[in-house]
Amino acid sequence: MFNIYQTQSAKIISVDFESVDTKLLRLKFLDRTRQREFDFLPGQFVQIGLPGWGECPISLASSSTQAKNYFELAIRGVGKLTNRLLELEKGDLVEVRGPYGNGFDVDLFKDKPLLLIGGGCGFVPLRPLINDYLAGQMSNTVLQIFYGCQNEENLLFKKEYHLWNRRAELNVILEKPSSKWAGQKGLITDLLKNWKITADSVAVIVGPPVMYRFVISELKKKKVQEENIYLSLERRMYCGLGVCQHCAIGPYYVCQDGPVFRWADIKGIGGVI
Amino acid sequence: MNDQQLIKLLNKLAESYFLLAPQKLDDNLLPGYEYGIREVKNLEEIDWSGAMPYGSWKEVLLPYHERLFDIQKGRLVETKTKYPPIACLAMNILDLKALTLFEQVFANDLYYQKRRRPMLIVGYSTGLPSDYKKYKVFSHNYEENVLEHVIFDIFVSRQKNGRLKFYSGSEKGQLTLDQAGLTDYNNIEFAGPVAESGPDKTLLSIMAKMEKSANKKIWDELDKRCLACGKCVIACPTCFCFDLEDRDNSAEQSRSRRWGVCFYNDFSLVADGRKELDTVKKKIFFWYYHKLVRIPKQYSLPGCVGCGRCIKACPVGININETIKAL
Repeated sequence: MFNIYQTQSAKIISVDFESVDTKLLRLKFLDRTRQREFDFLPGQFVQIGLPGWGECPISLASSSTQAKNYFELAIRGVGKLTNRLLELEKGDLVEVRGPYGNGFDVDLFKDKPLLLIGGGCGFVPLRPLINDYLAGQMSNTVLQIFYGCQNEENLLFKKEYHLWNRRAELNVILEKPSSKWAGQKGLITDLLKNWKITADSVAVIVGPPVMYRFVISELKKKKVQEENIYLSLERRMYCGLGVCQHCAIGPYYVCQDGPVFRWADIKGIGGVI
Repeated sequence: MNDQQLIKLLNKLAESYFLLAPQKLDDNLLPGYEYGIREVKNLEEIDWSGAMPYGSWKEVLLPYHERLFDIQKGRLVETKTKYPPIACLAMNILDLKALTLFEQVFANDLYYQKRRRPMLIVGYSTGLPSDYKKYKVFSHNYEENVLEHVIFDIFVSRQKNGRLKFYSGSEKGQLTLDQAGLTDYNNIEFAGPVAESGPDKTLLSIMAKMEKSANKKIWDELDKRCLACGKCVIACPTCFCFDLEDRDNSAEQSRSRRWGVCFYNDFSLVADGRKELDTVKKKIFFWYYHKLVRIPKQYSLPGCVGCGRCIKACPVGININETIKAL
């Protein structure tokens, strides 16, 4: 019988500094067949761990079009395990199982203007969507990216902005930028307030819970339908398979029914954001 | 009397199984705590009164702490555990219902399946659990077909006339009865955990009430009373939340599973320090919601089998039946 908790070893093939506290690990399963058969949807996550240090759920950060070759995870040092992962170097091994969760059903976004709204390190799950869009995998008419962050040091994926800007509109706003910052200053909601957003847009929001409330209320002012607002939730998880109960919200499991939810489906659940 | 047949069966089981059964522990224990599930050293010790043992079979089916992997040279290697043949004797109907739920929850769990395979389940009924009347909020249909929807290998039922009636519920059960020389038994075909007519109506009505109850006063009352001690979780035969835990020190290198308690602060803690369940009110609501909504929705089975163990365990007298009435 298949052991659902069995991990597989993956080798770190490159490590990139993304921000002051975040590194991007590019990984490849040691087992070539496993890598060749690896497939995921933007928005899905894996359990990454180190024996003796535990496991944690991390969103896949690379394009699903590259899944057969490698996958990337952006790791921010916030706990014992993630700080240990940041110490690893090229060639080191980690243990991985997954992918888990539902991911973004891009068919539902089809032929509509797509808004990707990310806050802080929560931005990570949006990168596969952007990359898939740039790779011609999605048929949205317009892709607008809104990214709110604390300061320049925290911005992720800076090296790619020029690529994103070729086919999408990227708008960055910083809350506490340095004096050198020439861009916009304020909160992500300030950015949305002054932007023309059409009512038929689909919005995907990923960030800290406090951001969700304000962004959703701003989108509703712009007449974006609750059915067209998607968000990705973060919860404590162990199994990743809808059994251990740690990530349960109302009748759903974030690990299985999520982490991507349609706002209309979960807005009635108390304390969900 | 055909109790002789039961003794014949038990003697046969003792040849190849470790026997576990409810036993009277001590007359001096507080009411409700007198009976527990222990290894049977002497067949006379088995309690056939139908009293609800305080500890549940969960401790046998899903140990409090279970080693899943050894860590060898930085890799996870499945722990090789020898799972003993255990005969679980005199499991009452409510505990069989809890077992039936576990069979669904852990259907894809290698460790649970390996532990269960060498086990033999012997259910027993005196008609009704002796303290059934105290817990009658949940509807339990004790008509014949209840046995078609619970998991067991052998079931022994005491009839009104005092005689015992034997049933087999699996091939393994049939074989065991044959080997013990019992011929007078009926075979019950397992018809799935849910009755043909669909989930229990009381279950559905409680589920509907629970779903709409977030603003009810009862949660504020329980917020004040509940100590969030988690004793109900430990006592409950269906509470199956768990954590995975790594240890890497000189004494142990392993990844293990251990019971999780949704009342404890780290249950919903995420990396940046946020907790979804940050008040007692949210915790106790979460516990009830799991039993009364999430499990029924996922498995079409009740998350509470009505055994009353949480009522006995609660140090401040919270009673699930009273809570349900207040929904």
